[in-house]
Amino acid sequence: MFQDGGVHALRLVAAGPEGTGVILVELGIVLLVLAFLGRVAAKLGVPSIPLYLAAGLLMGEGGFIPVDAGEDFLAVGAQIGVVLLLLLLGLEYSPQDLQHGLRTTWQAGIVDGLANGAPGFLLGIMMGWTVTASLLLAGVTYISSSGIIARLLDDFDRYANRETPVILSILVMEDIVMAVFLPIMAVLLVGASLVQGAVAAGIAIAIVAAAFFISLKFSAHVSKVVHSHSRELLLLSVLGLAFLVAGLAEAAQVSAAVGAFLLGLTLSGQVADDVRTLMPPLRDVFGGIFFVFFGLTIDPRDLWPVLLPALLLAVVTAITKIGTGMWAARRVGIGPKGQWRTGISLIPRGEFSIVIAGLGITAGIQPQLGPLAAAYVLILAIGGSLLMRFAAHIGGPAQWREELASRR
Amino acid sequence: MDIFETPLPGVGVRYEFEAESGDRVGLVVRRDGKRDLGLYDRTDPDACTGTLELSEGDASALAELLGGTNITARLESLRHQVEGLAIEWITMPSTGGLANHTIGDGHIRTKTSASIVAVIRDEVGVPGPGPDFELRPGDTVLVMGSEHAVSQARQILIG
Repeated sequence: MFQDGGVHALRLVAAGPEGTGVILVELGIVLLVLAFLGRVAAKLGVPSIPLYLAAGLLMGEGGFIPVDAGEDFLAVGAQIGVVLLLLLLGLEYSPQDLQHGLRTTWQAGIVDGLANGAPGFLLGIMMGWTVTASLLLAGVTYISSSGIIARLLDDFDRYANRETPVILSILVMEDIVMAVFLPIMAVLLVGASLVQGAVAAGIAIAIVAAAFFISLKFSAHVSKVVHSHSRELLLLSVLGLAFLVAGLAEAAQVSAAVGAFLLGLTLSGQVADDVRTLMPPLRDVFGGIFFVFFGLTIDPRDLWPVLLPALLLAVVTAITKIGTGMWAARRVGIGPKGQWRTGISLIPRGEFSIVIAGLGITAGIQPQLGPLAAAYVLILAIGGSLLMRFAAHIGGPAQWREELASRR
Repeated sequence: MDIFETPLPGVGVRYEFEAESGDRVGLVVRRDGKRDLGLYDRTDPDACTGTLELSEGDASALAELLGGTNITARLESLRHQVEGLAIEWITMPSTGGLANHTIGDGHIRTKTSASIVAVIRDEVGVPGPGPDFELRPGDTVLVMGSEHAVSQARQILIG
């Protein structure tokens, strides 16, 4: 079997179209750059996402390293990256986690959405963007990066802390909101009028709700069908199912990302455990490609005009996130220092802000959205992580007040 | 002693209790079996003064040293010795299935060949419950058998 495959593969390469070599060389360079940056990120103790993004900015048109032959593959790879990111996010949570999250943190979810979405929306309107583009920017500023935050909580040994459940349940809440937000945006982006949009959005929400209900109900059956002791078969069936569901969701304008997320929720038990150990490397590779590709589509020269708005937005939404976190933590009886840590921990934005901005780029609605989102995520992914690391040293409002009092 | 349990979505479960000395202890059981043991800071009661990250093996070694009887680990080694043996802990639902019925009502042994080896109720284990034993919501039932038999038994138990 292997020999056969080998011969086939050889023939494929030999008979490959003109330029295959160039594509492979370019992809090789891209992946090696990612590998190098990943190492740098690990050394510096910052998340790798902003570095991948920066690498994408530096490559391609207007950048230092031209990449164009492999761009088609990178585009598909980026799509796969989004599907895998969301699939694994769905796998992280059980449907019970979501139900529990909805029950206990819906109020914090609303405050979070209003406080952190509004600055993005207002800035969009002020810059003369359409309502749809401004709503996308609201999504970008609203959603914290559960990938970066969960990773850092682990790195800083903060899982046992009492405020950590508050942080995690806000992140869960945001992911639920995203499952409703993305299909609505997908509909609005097609260019429907507000009324048409409202109707279509209602349908989209109904589809998501139905899918969520089905995933709760038939989770065991789906998982059983997919289950296999062979890693190869398991990987093939889960990947196949994920692409199929994501593609169908995209065709139904619910957005591929949401389809993958719901599938992730549906898989449970042994299958979920196995996939969680099997899939992350694959997700990290394609996720990396996604961030690079996003950077590639942006001309770095477009960053300068949006740098100031991005910085402003970053400062404002960092403060609103801190406020949201502190409010949510105080409600469940966390002390002042814990409140401060909760607020700080919610600042990093990352993968999902990029996913949301990516929607707008594909639809081509606002040329400034991409550069602005890229600059914004670069600032808050790095800045937020550093703040999280030094949260204890910065002290927080309670400590500042004490110091002020003692100075008087 | 009261043990507080808090779900950590996407991570696992956190348990927390106050020791007789007044120290508060937290334990995170992650989904992949790793444990984080933490001692809460007395001045900042939400943070830990230090945490200890334990692998599954470390945790069971520590449990042995602390004097706990480590049922799970022993079952795990049993499972490695007998090829194809499945062992599952099934929590009884509040209604449906065999909740509020006796074990005999389900005819699990005759229908599926799986056995109910023990029931844990309110942290007290009942080894080898008889057919007259009535299952209550929240009971944890330990079922053994072939993988197929156990999954069938699960269906009967939780309905």
